[in-house]
Amino acid sequence: MIKLHNIFKIYPPDIKALQQVNLHIKPGEFVSIVGQSGTGKTTLVKLLIGEEQASQGKLIVGGWDITNISQAEIPVLRRQIGVVFQDFKLLYKKTLLENVAFALQVCGQTPKKINSIVPQVMKIVGLENKMNRYPQQVSGGEQQRAVIARALVHRPKILLADEPTGNLDSINTDEIIELLQKINKFGTTVVLVTHNREVVNKLKRRVITLENGMIVNDQAVGKYIL
Amino acid sequence: MFLLSFARVIKFSLQDIGRNIWLSLVTIIILVLALFSINLLLVVKVISATAISAVKEKIDISLYLRTNTEENRILALKAKISKLEQVKDIEYISQQAALESFKVKHKNNPEILQALVELGKNPLSPSLIIKPKNIDQYDELIASLNKIEDDIIESRNFADRKTMLEKINSITDKVSEAGLLMSLVFVFITLLVVYNAIRVAIYTHRMEIGIMKLVGASNWFIRAPYLLSSIIYTLIGLIATIIIFYPFLGLLQPYLEAFFIGYNFNVISYFNSHFIAIFGIEFLAAALINALASLVAVSKYSKV
Repeated sequence: MIKLHNIFKIYPPDIKALQQVNLHIKPGEFVSIVGQSGTGKTTLVKLLIGEEQASQGKLIVGGWDITNISQAEIPVLRRQIGVVFQDFKLLYKKTLLENVAFALQVCGQTPKKINSIVPQVMKIVGLENKMNRYPQQVSGGEQQRAVIARALVHRPKILLADEPTGNLDSINTDEIIELLQKINKFGTTVVLVTHNREVVNKLKRRVITLENGMIVNDQAVGKYIL
Repeated sequence: MFLLSFARVIKFSLQDIGRNIWLSLVTIIILVLALFSINLLLVVKVISATAISAVKEKIDISLYLRTNTEENRILALKAKISKLEQVKDIEYISQQAALESFKVKHKNNPEILQALVELGKNPLSPSLIIKPKNIDQYDELIASLNKIEDDIIESRNFADRKTMLEKINSITDKVSEAGLLMSLVFVFITLLVVYNAIRVAIYTHRMEIGIMKLVGASNWFIRAPYLLSSIIYTLIGLIATIIIFYPFLGLLQPYLEAFFIGYNFNVISYFNSHFIAIFGIEFLAAALINALASLVAVSKYSKV
């Protein structure tokens, strides 16, 4: 599903954000990428969604070599990868439903399809009773659920979650992780980038540890070891 | 699918304009000023062209002949002059015809007519009125006429209407230059204002643009609303200019009619008959300039 061959990402003048990264994530896996701040976790996410390009190496997502992806191809890639960020990135003048529908509208989906998909996804994330509320009228956990719903509307094969629980309390954190596990059970590959020790240890799934831009540990059933 | 996306692009574009309404208004006002100044320049051009052709019509050279000259000698001189290549037309005004014309001209001035009666004879000379073929050959024609030696020629009136024509040309050229400069300044200001309006619109929508990119909206879908906004600005600006400009022409027309008596000059008719050409070209040119400004702003600032 995701293959990284000897990936380097160097920012001028000589800041090595990632170096010699070799990684293979299989379809349907739930992988946590852990590491302290500044170890290259977010850079890795940026490479996977085409926001940055690798300085060296080869990057394959879903059998597609995106190492030198063109600007025109990036939207196609992003419809295949759902992304969830710590800061939600919701539009506060739109309801949760409208926020989720917006992702389909801007990609040219018909109103009929939007009206059929969005309520289904809202139900999956448990927001079917709050979908007409505005983001400021719901909790942080519910906002993050709406973001996950938005990430799911394109039925992506991969869900990238970059610190999705960073702004949440422990109860909401547990709920979001449960939701990610539920999505993973449906067959979606989930890549969770976090530095939340408790979350990683509780998951008991594959853990990849980054340090100074390099993979220092990759365990099939791992723990947060830093 | 394309029509649906296009409809959404229109919706987003109208939202952009509405959410930045004051900026949109300023942009449209500057556009109106630019288009108004360009149309004003056009009016000056039309007026000057009409004035020049009116003056050209009036340019002629009079050769005054001695009184009591035999008509056959006058006609021989007329034939000789008409052979000159610079001559378009030559008219013989007999002594009697000159008197009739004088009387008609001064019919409202009894003192002059009384003086003519008291004089007891026709004091006017017969003349030949020569019209040049081309105003540029005016000097050559005068030189050729000066070469003709004939004792029936009493005097040569080479009233220099060419100087007047040159003065009109010079004034209209200066007015056109000033108008062009003014239009260029407005076009430049318009460019900057449209560029800034799009830049601010993008800044206002940076979150939306970021989300659009994140969820896989195509580049054209992200950029098209801003491009469309610039075209909508142009369209509204042009319609506003037309609405303001026609009453302005209505105010101007009586003055122009008074100035061009006998020339059937109507500036409103001119704009009506050239409506599509004038405003169509203005729309295309302004839309192109604004779209360019918008494209530069979008490609520079939409990298959210």
